Amino acid sequence: MILLFALAMSAMTSCVSVKEYQKMYLNDAEMELAARKVEYFETNFQTYREGASGANGGKVGGGCGCN
Amino acid sequence: MQLTIISLFFCLFLFAQEVKAQLRNMPLFPEKDNKKKGTQIELDSTTYDPSPPDPIELDFLTSYYAQDGNNGAVTGGIGTEKLTDYTSKVILKIPMTKELGLNVDAGFDYYSSASTDLIDNVFSGESSSDMRVHGNVGVSYKLSPQQTFGLRVGGSREYDYTSFNTGFNYGWESKDHNTSIGVSGQAFIDKWKLIYPTELRRQGALVPTDKRQSYNGSLTISHVLNKRMQASVQLEGIYMNGLLSTPFHRVFFQEQDAAKVEQLPGTRLKIPIGVRFNYHATDWLIAKLYYRYYWDDWGVTAHTASVELPVKINRFLSVYPFYRYHTQTAADYFQPYKQHTLDEEFYTSDYDLSKLQSHTYGAGIRYSPVNGLARMKLPFKERPVLMVKSIDVKYSHYDRSTGLKADIISLGLSFSF
Repeated sequence: MILLFALAMSAMTSCVSVKEYQKMYLNDAEMELAARKVEYFETNFQTYREGASGANGGKVGGGCGCN
Repeated sequence: MQLTIISLFFCLFLFAQEVKAQLRNMPLFPEKDNKKKGTQIELDSTTYDPSPPDPIELDFLTSYYAQDGNNGAVTGGIGTEKLTDYTSKVILKIPMTKELGLNVDAGFDYYSSASTDLIDNVFSGESSSDMRVHGNVGVSYKLSPQQTFGLRVGGSREYDYTSFNTGFNYGWESKDHNTSIGVSGQAFIDKWKLIYPTELRRQGALVPTDKRQSYNGSLTISHVLNKRMQASVQLEGIYMNGLLSTPFHRVFFQEQDAAKVEQLPGTRLKIPIGVRFNYHATDWLIAKLYYRYYWDDWGVTAHTASVELPVKINRFLSVYPFYRYHTQTAADYFQPYKQHTLDEEFYTSDYDLSKLQSHTYGAGIRYSPVNGLARMKLPFKERPVLMVKSIDVKYSHYDRSTGLKADIISLGLSFSF
């Protein structure tokens, strides 16, 4: 896991600076670096039906989800 | 219920308008202002801001979920897992001043579950049903053009569970907006109403406590890699303690026919790390990749990967097929029906904690025209028009290697006014 984190960090620090006027593609609503709002409930159900949770913008506590 | 929530939000909106109007009229330095009364008209004319107020954003989310399987934890790992759930949620973002924002969300889940109907060992024919309501209120404050700080409190309630939560978040963005860092923390203080399987109710306390606490801390780093690529890494730590088992889950043993209540350790440490990578490959195709590694001290290790390929039909309309794969090892305390032995300290037959693989696939469609889908007049001077900004519909099918299958359809509508 530390290796994965280190790899991701090194990839993210070795890149070019992009100016605001060059961000046409990056500013596209589809390029958002987060789960879609419409996925909110789906992520919660995955949290209930699988043993793993977190690091995806989903629920990490509150409410038992034990149906 | 929906009408109540909408009414509540309407009242909240009126209240926010009133507070905002008062904030605008309130002089920051009353004494100074009194002394300069003579120049008041001149000051007003020079500081007049013709720009309209920042819009209030409202999101309405709703979904319908249905699942079925044959490993119900209420009946010890055998029996129905049939469940349907209808959920709705409203999220409101109200800019109070240029720096201060108010965030409110509220919603409910209405579920019917054949499995929880069997807590009483009598299948009534109609599924047990209940509702969970939840809400959060938070503020976010812009400390500087690059820094934001927020606080929030909230809670939820269902028939056997009450939860209170509080949290904070801090965000920093580089001057060129190419790097951002987010730190957040949250605490959940929960309380169970202990409901045991009917045949075990005369045996006194079967679990050590009725309380549960969860704490989580998260660090997210996002970075622009080039004109078409950006990525983020999220590291999270979740620590839970208290009653982490479910008091109405039965477990059956090799040595006897009588069931016992599920028992699990009183603490659990979870560490997930997630990586997102988005690539605007062509003018009409985007690749969104996600991977998560998960570890916890109950013996569950998991890998989750997903790929989503939004295809832009035009500037405003996109269709996004996706696929998600998940695999996990079983928790140390899991065994199927009648496989546990009486000498074990902890035991569960909940298949959510078993060794499994799952496949999720489906597609969504998002339409967000630049001038909105529709407009409606509002009786407010400052905010005369309500605009329906976008619509997002998504369908997913979930297939778990244990036999559980589920379908979910979700709808998201965004408004601004």
